[in-house]
Amino acid sequence: MSLLRPLALRSLTMIGVFFVVMLMLVLTLGLTGYSDRILTAVVGEQLRAERTSLAETIRDPDQLEKVLKDREKEFAAFYGLDRPWWVRLPGMVLRVMTLDLGEARNLRSFEGSNRVIDIVLERLPNTMLLLTTSLFITASIGLGLGAYMATQAGTWLDRFMSGFAAVSFAIPTWWIGILLILFLSVRWRILPSGGMYSTPPPIEQGERFLDLVKHALLPVLTLVLVSIGPYIYAVRTITLNIAQEDHVTIARAKGLPERRVRNRHILRVAAPPIVTGLIFGLAGSLSGSILVETVFNWQGMGRLYYDTLAGTPDENVIVALTFVFTLMYVGIRILLEVLYVFLDPRVQYLD
Amino acid sequence: MRLGEAFRELWRSGAGKGGLLLLLLLFAGAGYVLATYPLDFGDRTWSNPNRWVDNPKAAAPIWMNRLNATPLPEHQILSIGEPTETKEARAGRIETYRIPFTYNFTEPPTFLAVTLADVTYKERPPLISLSLARPDGNEVRLLRHAVRGPREGETGPFHRYVEDPLRVQLSTDESTITSMQEFLAETFERQVDERTLRGLVDRAAFGTPSEDDELTLTPLTGDYELVVQAAFRDADDKLGQLRFVIGGAVYGYMGTDSLGRDLAQGLLFGLPVALFIGLVVAVVETAIGVVLGITSGYLGGRTDLLIQRAADIVANVPVLPLLIFMLFVIGPSLFVILFVLIAFSWPGLTIQIRAMVLHTRTNALVEAIQSLGSSHSRVMFRHILPQIAPYVVSRLIFAAPSAILAEAGLSFLGLGDPSIPTWGQILEAGFRTGGVYVGYWWWIVPPGLLIVLTALTFMLLSLGLEPVVNPRLRRSR
Repeated sequence: MSLLRPLALRSLTMIGVFFVVMLMLVLTLGLTGYSDRILTAVVGEQLRAERTSLAETIRDPDQLEKVLKDREKEFAAFYGLDRPWWVRLPGMVLRVMTLDLGEARNLRSFEGSNRVIDIVLERLPNTMLLLTTSLFITASIGLGLGAYMATQAGTWLDRFMSGFAAVSFAIPTWWIGILLILFLSVRWRILPSGGMYSTPPPIEQGERFLDLVKHALLPVLTLVLVSIGPYIYAVRTITLNIAQEDHVTIARAKGLPERRVRNRHILRVAAPPIVTGLIFGLAGSLSGSILVETVFNWQGMGRLYYDTLAGTPDENVIVALTFVFTLMYVGIRILLEVLYVFLDPRVQYLD
Repeated sequence: MRLGEAFRELWRSGAGKGGLLLLLLLFAGAGYVLATYPLDFGDRTWSNPNRWVDNPKAAAPIWMNRLNATPLPEHQILSIGEPTETKEARAGRIETYRIPFTYNFTEPPTFLAVTLADVTYKERPPLISLSLARPDGNEVRLLRHAVRGPREGETGPFHRYVEDPLRVQLSTDESTITSMQEFLAETFERQVDERTLRGLVDRAAFGTPSEDDELTLTPLTGDYELVVQAAFRDADDKLGQLRFVIGGAVYGYMGTDSLGRDLAQGLLFGLPVALFIGLVVAVVETAIGVVLGITSGYLGGRTDLLIQRAADIVANVPVLPLLIFMLFVIGPSLFVILFVLIAFSWPGLTIQIRAMVLHTRTNALVEAIQSLGSSHSRVMFRHILPQIAPYVVSRLIFAAPSAILAEAGLSFLGLGDPSIPTWGQILEAGFRTGGVYVGYWWWIVPPGLLIVLTALTFMLLSLGLEPVVNPRLRRSR
């Protein structure tokens, strides 16, 4: 089937993306000597612990030193310090790829586990909840308003929308979030300023859900506010361009009802590029969510980044997070590419 | 199209005109900063807490007083000049400085502090005292200080408080509290114990105890005078500098942050930094994008395939997580940020330029030049580049805001370069220290607005350039 080739090509690109990111990770960790430094520190720490426990049983200082020397060698071999970083680090990446993400030093999951995978898995749904909700709202409003704006081309409303879209590009999402907190929750005390649940969280299921909705309102509003303008504008422009094409004129000339012309001849054709816009929108908000979650203390992947950076930095978590983020991004992109190909059978990725 | 013509076309559109005027304004501001600020402003001034001790903490901008019903106390700094009176006594010379000032606020100052510097004496340490003559005719002593005496083995003349001036925070100073206690007892016959008075020093110095209540102090407004007396033994002994600070609750045009830093200065310094980030990333990124795009489109074949595949991959790398990671490992540095932003932003332009070059490659002019035997590079950069130049310029301008926003976002995550203050870092400090949650809007709104304004300037310019780039959009007049 001819669809397979473009799909395979796109997937290959995304896998290439994944490897580029992993390569950058390894190079950064290795070339700066960061990995060596961290592992040396870890070995040193373990040796100190070992010394205290061994000192109780071995009295002779010379023998103690000798045993410790052996221990140090063992530890170095265990952590791979005896091998150069270009041998050791690819191994680490391979290990991470099997989702063996290691353990966090200070961070804990809500359940109390210190395995990074547990922490990440706990936070992932929260991020997805925030992203999908805001994406859904943006898409529904954007599609409706965009298609409507296409019929209003040239009016003051149209000019206002395009101005709004341009301004949106110049506004940092997270700053809008801070402003919303400053005014809506600090000054007027309408909505909570952050977190996902009140403290203490309501016990009853229904109340708990309402509480979550209340806390999600501001972050979702922030994400929607900054992405809606460009999206409406894109939908409007794409629809407008297609509405001026010959096949639409012909459809009208044939006397087809306007509804049918709009739905079958304009919107159906406009769908694929609009979906592409959505793909890039999602990719953008995945990064944007790091900042928005930070602002609203939303316990997702993005906030995890901030927590890791703010406290005592934990390189295990940072590597794992960057990996999972990239994986998520690549996964979503491939998924959407598949969707795109099925939406638009004309797709032929031209080389 | 010639340059002048393009400029006129840009000026004709509203967006272009607005963008050009704003750009002029930004460059003027940046020029002013570069001319007047030291380049190591970040290390030497902004991140140096000593520089800001005498400023009020988290004070609102001064113009807020025009909006407030009751004006908040303004910041006042009094310094001594020439002595108003010199008296020769038997034990030596007594210099008196009288500095009049007005205090008309119903709120007490946020703090009182005094700084002594550059004291010189030959034999006996001078005695310095500081008191406040109040509108009600009373005088309260705030400080009595004997300058540190000679150390063992040290010979005169002695210089004191030269390298690090002596600073006394009168509001919390034990001896000031005691002397205030005496003042209240002698003048108003109020016995107030030490612990109660702690934290009320400023209020007591600028107020009178009310009739009925022990502790209620009603503010006393009017003309005050700061009286400084210095008793010297020898003729050459002198008091170099003395600064008396009456801490305000409002400060400067933009207020201060919780460390007392003057936000107006930080915000101003952020301007050339933001422009630098935007322009450097935009120019280098565009240069790479254009060179690769033209090469790819013009040469075709394997080179083309390679460049396009690479562009495809690099374009899709999620930059923010990678940047966070690299800054985390390498350490926050502006140049790492610039490098990564450039390294991952060229593909979009490369892909578009290639498409445009494919178009021009086959036109008659280029074919004619090729047949004359011009070299590849000559054709590419002398004949093809000028044809796509307007588009390149518009893309260059369009690239600037995203770099500025990216840097601001990273700074907000705490990954900003600490030696170079930026707007994002000011916002980060306001967010991290909880300034947002107590409503210090002057710390949060202006830096964000400046980011938006700078980004918007470039957006407007690129909007205004559209008719220049795309002649079909040109209005006929």
